Amino acid sequence: MATEVLVNPDQLRGEVKKKYRDVAVKPHDAYHFHTGRPLAKRLGYDDQVVGALPDAAVESFAGVANPFSLRRLAPGERVVDLGSGAGFDCFIAAAQVGREGRVVGIDMTPEMLAKSRASAADMGLANVEFRDGLIEHMPVDDGWADVVISNGVINLCADKRQVFGEIMRVLKPGGRLQFADIANGKPVPESAVKNVDLWTA
Amino acid sequence: MLEDAGFDEIVIGPAVDTFGGAGGESKARLFEVFGYPFIARKSRS
Repeated sequence: MATEVLVNPDQLRGEVKKKYRDVAVKPHDAYHFHTGRPLAKRLGYDDQVVGALPDAAVESFAGVANPFSLRRLAPGERVVDLGSGAGFDCFIAAAQVGREGRVVGIDMTPEMLAKSRASAADMGLANVEFRDGLIEHMPVDDGWADVVISNGVINLCADKRQVFGEIMRVLKPGGRLQFADIANGKPVPESAVKNVDLWTA
Repeated sequence: MLEDAGFDEIVIGPAVDTFGGAGGESKARLFEVFGYPFIARKSRS
């Protein structure tokens, strides 16, 4: 399936890493997007569920909508979270799938991975793990997942067809992709799309 | 793109004003950018 990739994937990845390193270590700085508990409330996450999570698990959350709003995960399901950041959606997912389920978060930013792993350890969660990797080449076996989730990440990838191909690979037949992302109602000029600086601005 | 990748039963949920009140609000308004939840099923065949 041929497709044109309009920006350099490595350059874009570098910019995204830089931005989300900041969000991990300086979650209360001002960004062009909302973060943390106010954002979770804005996006309609359950107040009680979010309230039960420690600050470190929520403060770097930077999603764009609620991937659980159209379908709650079922107990026992195996879930992969693409671009798991500081782990917020993985912790929501872990509560929904329960002890018989498994959640694997994948992220490429070391500071986010360190934060998510520390939060999982603090909460004593045995059904969640975080793996270092790219969502274009996921460290997950073929057909492992019942569900793939993601929140505000796929739009930051230069080659979306590669990402959707990887999602198909790791999902079981009949498995679900339930994700949140942004979409624009008016076309963005090609000159802007080709400007990597604008992707994370 | 989801259909091209082999997904069916695609549902898009209601728009969320993700950037309202944030630093990126003006750019988001310019291109009518909103957040959406999506769900799709990998075909069994």
